[in-house]
Amino acid sequence: MAKSHIKSLNFADFLKAGEKRENIIAKAPAKPVPPTSSYRANRIASALHPERQSLIVSKIDEIADGVKSIHLVGNVKKGTEKVAYFSAGQYLVLFLDINGAKITRPYSISSSPKQALDGEYVLTIKRVNGGLASNFILDTFEVGTEVEASAPEGEFTYEPLRDAKNVVALAGGSGITPFLSLAKAIENGDEDCSLTLIYGARTEKEILFKDTFDRIADTCNKVNVIYVLSDERNDKYENGFITADLISKYAPEGDYSVFICGPQAMYDFVDKELAKLNLRKKFIRHETFGEYRNPQKDADYPYGGISEVKITAIIRDEKYEITASTNDTILNSLEKNGIAVPSRCRSGVCGWCHSKLVDGTVYIPKSVDGRRLADYDYGYIHPCCSFPLSDVTLIASVSK
Amino acid sequence: MDRHYDVIVAGGGNGGLVAAATTAKAGLKTLLVEKHNIPGGSASSFRRGRFEFEPSLHELCSVGTKEKPKEVYKIFDELGVNIDWRYEYNTFRAIVTGENGFDVKLRAGVENFCDDMEKAVPGCRESVKNFFDLAKKDAAALEYIYKMKGKPNPLTMVFKHADFMRTACHSVEDVEIALGMPEKARDILNTYWCYLGIPTDDLNAMHYISMVSSYVEDGAAMPYKRSHELSLGLEKAITDNGGEVWYNSEVSEFLYDNGRCVGVALTDGTKLYAKEVISNIIPHNVYSMSDNKNVPERELKLANARNFGITFVTIYLGLDCTKEELGIEDYTVFKSTYANPREQYNHRHDKPVGAYYVVNCLNEVIPDCSPEGTCMLFFTIPLYGNELPEDLTAENYKRYKNDVAKRYIEDYEKVMGIDISSHVEEIAVATPVTFARFLGTPDGEIYGYDNRNWDNVVMRANYEKTDFSVPGLTYCGGHASRGDGYSSAYITGEAAGKAVVRKLKGGN
Repeated sequence: MAKSHIKSLNFADFLKAGEKRENIIAKAPAKPVPPTSSYRANRIASALHPERQSLIVSKIDEIADGVKSIHLVGNVKKGTEKVAYFSAGQYLVLFLDINGAKITRPYSISSSPKQALDGEYVLTIKRVNGGLASNFILDTFEVGTEVEASAPEGEFTYEPLRDAKNVVALAGGSGITPFLSLAKAIENGDEDCSLTLIYGARTEKEILFKDTFDRIADTCNKVNVIYVLSDERNDKYENGFITADLISKYAPEGDYSVFICGPQAMYDFVDKELAKLNLRKKFIRHETFGEYRNPQKDADYPYGGISEVKITAIIRDEKYEITASTNDTILNSLEKNGIAVPSRCRSGVCGWCHSKLVDGTVYIPKSVDGRRLADYDYGYIHPCCSFPLSDVTLIASVSK
Repeated sequence: MDRHYDVIVAGGGNGGLVAAATTAKAGLKTLLVEKHNIPGGSASSFRRGRFEFEPSLHELCSVGTKEKPKEVYKIFDELGVNIDWRYEYNTFRAIVTGENGFDVKLRAGVENFCDDMEKAVPGCRESVKNFFDLAKKDAAALEYIYKMKGKPNPLTMVFKHADFMRTACHSVEDVEIALGMPEKARDILNTYWCYLGIPTDDLNAMHYISMVSSYVEDGAAMPYKRSHELSLGLEKAITDNGGEVWYNSEVSEFLYDNGRCVGVALTDGTKLYAKEVISNIIPHNVYSMSDNKNVPERELKLANARNFGITFVTIYLGLDCTKEELGIEDYTVFKSTYANPREQYNHRHDKPVGAYYVVNCLNEVIPDCSPEGTCMLFFTIPLYGNELPEDLTAENYKRYKNDVAKRYIEDYEKVMGIDISSHVEEIAVATPVTFARFLGTPDGEIYGYDNRNWDNVVMRANYEKTDFSVPGLTYCGGHASRGDGYSSAYITGEAAGKAVVRKLKGGN
C-alpha cells in the first residue's frame, strides 16, 4: 500500500511564495506592452478580416448588355493599403448610400484570389429590373468612385477535407461569378480540385465570360465547361434546363460535389433534379445569395390582412420609428429609411444582423432561418429574413 | 454626446456578462460594451449547414444540480437565469499510445473514480483518495480565509490548515509524490493539466486538486443549446434588470482622471463615463489602450513578467453518420503519445501530430445536438499563440488550417480504427488567428496569463489589490485571479460585480 507522506512537504514555503513572486515581478522591465495589433496572430487576423476595406474603382468593363465588371483597388488615402486575400466563392459587401438610404449588398468576387494579392478585386454586377443597388452602381460608378466594403465573407468555397475532389458547378445567369473565380483559382494552382461547370443561360448572347472560360478549359485540364441554353436552340450547346440526366452525362466517375449558384427559380428546379440522383447531403452546396421575396406566397405565411406596420428600432440609446411594408424584410425597411444596421449575407445565414425582437410578431421563412437554437428562446431574429406581421420593436446593433 | 453610468463593463465574455448582470441586479445603472455582435466571447456557438457547433466549452465544472447546487449553478440561479443543463458522469478516457501506454476510462464520483484508478494501477487507491481528501481540506481552509476577509490568523493556519499551505505552495507532482502515488497513477490523474494549460510539475497543486475534484465529485455539465444559451441567458439578466448591452461596440481607449479610471472611448469616438469600470478585457490590452502615465509601474512589471496562457487549434466536424456507426462511446478522449504531462507539453509540435490532443463528441451527452443520422466531433490541440508557423501568411493560412486538421483527423482515425474523413459534411478550423479575430486578445490567447506556479491562483488572490491598483478599475475573466475556464470567469465576474456594488452602495 502506498503511504501518505504529505507531511513531508514543507508548509512554510507558503509564507515565502509571495516574496518569491514579488522578486520575479520586480526583475521584470516596466516597459510599455506592445500594441495588440503587433502580435502575429492579430496581424494575420486583421489582414484576412479587416473591419472595413476602403476601395476605389480603378476600371469598369462592359461585359454584356446590362452587365459590368467593376475593378476595385485599395483606397490608400483612406487607409486600405492591401486588399484582403480570400477564397474563391467568397463575396464582398458594399456599403452604399443611395439618396439617404443606407444599404448593403453582397456580391461574389469574380476575380481570382491571386488578383487580390496583386491588389485588385473584380465584382461583376448585372442590372436587376427595379434593383436599387445594381442600378445605382451601374449608373453612377466610374473610375475614381470610392466605396466602402466588408472583408471577404461567405462559406461557398471549396473545402478539400469536406468536398469531393471533383466539383460539378451548376450556374444560372449571373450566378456564374463565384465559379469564374474558382476556375481561375484552379488554373493558378490555388485550389486543388477539378471543375465541371454546367452553365445555364437563356441565349448564347447571355453567356458571360465565354472567352475566358473557353480559354481556361482549353489550357487547364482540370476545368471543363458545358453551356446550356434554355431559350434558344443551338447545336453548339446543350439545350433546355440543367436536368438530372444532363448532370449525369457530364459528371465524372465516382464522388463529386455539386455547387449551385443562380436565381431562386433555378434552385427550385435543380434541387428537384438533384433529388433524383440520390447524392449525399454533404455533396450538395448552395450559395444562399439573395433576398427572400414575396413571403405571402408561402403556404405557412400567417396572412393577417395588414400591409403596413410600424417598426421601432432601438440602437444603443437612440430610438427610431418608421412605417414599413409587411412585404419587406425588417432590414430592408430600416435601410430604406436611412437607418444603418449590421448585415452581410442578407440571406438569413451569417447572423451579422442578429437583433432582439422585444415586441410584435414576425414571419421567418423556414428555408432561410439560420438562427442558433438559443436565439429562439431569447427572441433573437435575423432582420434580413424577418417580415413583420404586426407593429414590432427590436433592439439592433450599430452597423459595423 | 457623453454618457454617464454607474458601471461600465468592457467586454461581454463570461466574466463581463456575470459582472454586468450582478451590478444591474443591484440597481446600478450598468452598460456593457462588446466588440462582437453576440455575447459570450468564447462562450458562443456558430452554424455551418445543419450543424450548430460549440466553439470552446469542453465541460463545465462547479455546476452541480438544483438539489446540490455548486458555485456556477448558484450564480446563474441568483441572476434568475435558467439553463437546461446536461450532465456527463464519465470524467474522461485517456489513451496513451507510446511507451508505457494505457487506455483507461474513469467514471465520475470519488469512489467510482478511485475504483477505476485502482483497476488501472493496482495499489494506488489510497493515494488517489488522499488527493481528493486534500480538496476538502483546501476548501475548509479557503472558507476560513474568506471568513477572516483574507487576513487569517497565522497560528490557526499552521495548526489547522497546514495541508492547505502545503498544497498551495507546491506543484501537483510534488504533492502526488508525497502522497506516495505511483507514476502511472499520476500520469492518468494529471491528464486534465491542459484545462489549466501548464504541465503538472509547474502547476499549483491546490488549483489542480480543486478543479479535478469538482469534475469528479459533481460530473461535468453542458448547456443543451451550446454556450450561446449561457450567454444569451446572462444577457437577459442584464437587460431585465435595467442594464444595457451594446454590441459592435469596441473599446479603443480607457479614460482616466487623476489616475482614476473614469470610462472608455469606443472606436467610433463615443465617450462613456462611469463611477466604476469593470474590465473583461485582458490587462495587456487595457494598458495598450491607456495613456502610459496612468499605468502603474508595478502593473507593467507584472504584465511583462507574465506569459500568455496556452491557446488552441480547434477542429469542428459535422459528420453525416451517427456516433454509433463510428463506434464512438466517449464524450472526452485525451489522446497522447507520451504518458507524462511534461513530455506531452514538450512534444506539442511533433509531426504528424503533437503529443497531446483532445477529442469530444457532444452527441454522447446531448444525443440530439445535431440532426438525426449525424454527429459532431471537436478536436482541441494545445499551442501558444506565438507558436504559429513562422511563414504563416494570410495567403497560406487556409492551407495551414487544412493541413493541421488533416493530420489530426487521420491520426485519430488510426488510433480509434474508424473512418471520419469520408463523413465530413461540415468542417471549420479555428486557430489563435481566429481567436485574435473574434476576441481581440493578444496572439489569440484564451486562457489569460499562464498558471505557472510562481503566479498561481492563491498568489493572485492574495495580491489582487497590489497587482491591480488603479482606482475605478476592476478586472474579471480568464486573465483575473482564478485563472482560465468558464467557471473561473463566472466566479471572478461575480466577485468583480459584487466588489463594485460594495464600493458604490456600501455594505458587505
